[in-house]
Amino acid sequence: MFFKTQKLNQVASLGRAISTTTLMKKFIRSFSAVTLAAFTLNAAPVLHAEDTVKVGILHSLSGTMAISETSLRDILLYTFDEINKSGGVMGKKIEPVIVDGASNWPLFAEKAKQLLEEDKVACVFGCWTSVSRKSVLPVFEKDNGLLFYPVQYEGEELSKNIFYTAEAVNQQATPAVDYLLAQGKKKFYLIGTDYVYPQTTNLILFKYLQLHGVPVENIGGGLRKDDSGKVISAGKYTPFGHTDYQQIVSDIKEFAASGDACVINTINGDSNVPFFKEIAAAGLTPASCPVVSFSLAEDELRALPTKDLVGELGCWTYFMSLKSPENKSFLAKWNDWLKTENYPGVVKEKRAVDSPMVLSYDGVYLWKKAVEKAGSFDVDKVRTALESGEINFAGPGGKTTMQANHHTVKNVYIGSTLANGQFKILKTFPEVKGEPFLLKGLDEQLEKKTAAN
Amino acid sequence: MCKGGGANLRSLFHATMLKTKLAALLLFCSFVCGAVASDETVTRQKLVQAILSSGDEQQKLLSELADDNSKIVHDTLLSWTRDEIYLCETANGGAKIPVLLEEQQDAEGKARAIRIDDGKYLADEKGAELHFDSSDLNTLDTDMRLRSAVQQTLDLLALADPNRDARRDVVQKLGKSQKKQYLPVLQARLGKETDAGVKKAIFVAVATINLGDADPSAKIAAINQLAKLNSIGSLDDLQRAANSQNADVAKSAEAAIKSINGYLSAVNFFGTIFRGISLGSILLVVALGLAITFGLMGIINMAHGEMIAIGAYTCYFVESVFGTGFTFRIVMPFSIGGHAPGFGATIPGLHASGWFYETYFLFAIPLSFVMAALAGLALERTVIQFLYRRPLESLLATWGVSLILQQCFRLVFGANNVQVNSPRWLLGNFTLNDVILGYNRLFVIAFAVLIVIGTWLLLTKTPLGLLIRAVMQNRNMAACMGVRTARVNMLTFAFGSGLAGLAGAFLSQIGNVGPSLGQSYIVDSFMTVVVGGVGNIVGCIYSALGIGTADQVLQQVFGSPVVGKITVLICIILFLQWKPSGLFAARSRSLEG
Repeated sequence: MFFKTQKLNQVASLGRAISTTTLMKKFIRSFSAVTLAAFTLNAAPVLHAEDTVKVGILHSLSGTMAISETSLRDILLYTFDEINKSGGVMGKKIEPVIVDGASNWPLFAEKAKQLLEEDKVACVFGCWTSVSRKSVLPVFEKDNGLLFYPVQYEGEELSKNIFYTAEAVNQQATPAVDYLLAQGKKKFYLIGTDYVYPQTTNLILFKYLQLHGVPVENIGGGLRKDDSGKVISAGKYTPFGHTDYQQIVSDIKEFAASGDACVINTINGDSNVPFFKEIAAAGLTPASCPVVSFSLAEDELRALPTKDLVGELGCWTYFMSLKSPENKSFLAKWNDWLKTENYPGVVKEKRAVDSPMVLSYDGVYLWKKAVEKAGSFDVDKVRTALESGEINFAGPGGKTTMQANHHTVKNVYIGSTLANGQFKILKTFPEVKGEPFLLKGLDEQLEKKTAAN
Repeated sequence: MCKGGGANLRSLFHATMLKTKLAALLLFCSFVCGAVASDETVTRQKLVQAILSSGDEQQKLLSELADDNSKIVHDTLLSWTRDEIYLCETANGGAKIPVLLEEQQDAEGKARAIRIDDGKYLADEKGAELHFDSSDLNTLDTDMRLRSAVQQTLDLLALADPNRDARRDVVQKLGKSQKKQYLPVLQARLGKETDAGVKKAIFVAVATINLGDADPSAKIAAINQLAKLNSIGSLDDLQRAANSQNADVAKSAEAAIKSINGYLSAVNFFGTIFRGISLGSILLVVALGLAITFGLMGIINMAHGEMIAIGAYTCYFVESVFGTGFTFRIVMPFSIGGHAPGFGATIPGLHASGWFYETYFLFAIPLSFVMAALAGLALERTVIQFLYRRPLESLLATWGVSLILQQCFRLVFGANNVQVNSPRWLLGNFTLNDVILGYNRLFVIAFAVLIVIGTWLLLTKTPLGLLIRAVMQNRNMAACMGVRTARVNMLTFAFGSGLAGLAGAFLSQIGNVGPSLGQSYIVDSFMTVVVGGVGNIVGCIYSALGIGTADQVLQQVFGSPVVGKITVLICIILFLQWKPSGLFAARSRSLEG
């Protein structure tokens, strides 16, 4: 069984917050158990200041996002251990400073401020949701910090203080559409959860599909236009935690009746369960109408009935089933670390590795190489090194190169879901260049195309 | 002596007979095996020929394979389309041997190669099996033309697939290609086909192919045929025909579109009604327990949702026991000397498969009721019995209990959702004139009907029901008449909780099972009970079906689930302004007091 330790972390952060006052210290001492938990969590190896460099981990370790983000803390701790064992960064051992964003977006900004101004960390790895990233962005720009962001996102953002190891839309959504177009799909139904990532991604896809000759009436899910008639939202949206997909699936069934149709799914979280159960009940098979999902990776599949998902598609820049030697040795070392590591709250059983975790791992190495190239931990120098386009790392998902636009060049893979929750890789798009701003370019291309007609 | 000799003789006779029989059996066996083996060898040889040849000969061999409906052909061709056929030249002195790699890999990621020509593992001269990494081997060269030929052969093979959905998909695909060459194949299949849905798909496919005919009169005949078949999937094709140059074709295509659209709105209407009833049934199943604990007993039980979750988790537990077993480990949220103390247990699984595994849900249903009822019983004895006259305190106390229970679920089952695999008989659907009736939805409707009948029988036809009604109408009077009201309360509450458990067992089949499962249904439950009229079970039925249907209809009208739901909630607010006591106002002293 998978045991998550949100409460533990809450207790721990509570312990940290109150341990500043001596009165509270007395109080805590009487509850030795609580103190013990709090101190073990704080007990990062304290080395002499000159031998170490402080690096921040800013993830939600409690609250709704803890389920996903705790995995990223674990992989970061592992990566730091691995680097420290092989001599550290420029001879200095990495000393992690872990703070809990607690799934609370304003708190993310406060914690970022604490990391940059009090702990004076050299670099921060963190954030999962786009809203948390938007919340810390002004803090990083004001204090000139450095943030590595590892989770697929909607783009349309570029801060000089953030490096996006994450998949940009053209490293996940558009390759998936390319794949489906090549498979002869002619009709695309867009469905997602109602928030910024699905909305932006679907709007980009709506334009991308038109550019590739798919007529508007073959893009399903509905359109919303503003007063001037410009499309501002494409696709069908449901709120977080929606459970009743009967009507929508019958809509999809009707849409797919004429054949050659597929579904682009950006539904987030556990709403995918009723959605896929309904898809299966309606007799929509991967052969007739495949569903490609952008928010379901190996970690999420552990909590889904994979039997209902066999044959459906996924698109990421890393799959656990990759057969490269880098991936094999990475997985072996990670499993060894899990066996021996006694860090409180690290779950040992039934762990899966997925794209956000590997992109966190890649990010640390990209930073390490940039620091070594710059010969300094200074943010401006490290940034210049990263922007040079010469910093690359052969990670588990293949070679990753940081570009001047703060996004990476990396392989993109299309996979189909297997019954064991893994993906079978169907196609590889080698070395796709991440591009944050797609909407404007697509608009211009579309205009040109209509003008040409 | 004589007697003994007779016995010996008899036994000798028996032994001879047995030997003869055995020999005959052996002979028969070897004959059958030989026949099978030779058939298989021929097929395998054909496959290898098709793989190794090229050009027109290859195309011809591939089309011949379409007549050979064996598993080997299907699997091999499927691997071919996926580029999983490799040519091995290392063994046997450089001759090209087509092989498949086994799924099972060794520690280095290498797998054994299965020869296509004899189905055996590829071995070197000494007979040792060879292991390969897929990247070390040459993939069979397959260009676009060849790939489509292989796919075509696969499609033709799929026409005889045992799964009707697969057959229907491939018929549709062949029709969409609008290639005349498929007409004889489809016609031949029509003679053998037994499934009505596939039959209809074949008619549509034939008409779609004829639609591609150059002759306008053939086109018009095909259009009329499609209109007669009410083929929703042909709307796009008909739209194209409606734009055609020929006025007659365009006219008949427009008429066909109009008639199919009319049919489509009827399908949508009945589909929406069905979906409304099914959503209403879920609301009813979820709210019925609350209609008893809140409606009849007047307890604001905020832990009702967790009773549902107990039912759902019981279902998960039973499924695990039928499958691979159930393990849980509770670790204390603190560590002593670097180790977190904890305890756990493992229940070995039955590793059931086939029909036995599929029956797990039938065991899970009563167990869900019992578990939730026991939890309800404990809750009533420890908390609620002290709060009968203090409804606000009962709200707070049960809210606390619900938080405690949620945390218990997290400790035992983990914070993540758990997977519950539905039994096969709940998957799939029954399609009636294009209205999809999912088996799980039909089941929930039947389930709701049974629960309502059961509850009605219990309340009106049993001595316990009589006591329950007496206590609910006037507790003091019932006590004076010698009814042990405390006991009746306890049983009533347990029964209400048990009904919630049944709801949970069902919800595990259509949605998520997680610690916050109950939270997502508690508001809906209260809404249903309040709209129906507190203290009235018939009202609960009407309100559940009414809310369910209204939700689906409005969702269809507005095209957005959120707007639909908001409209339903606004309607409920307005309705309660007009009739504060709900659809059916119950008059009972316990409520007025």
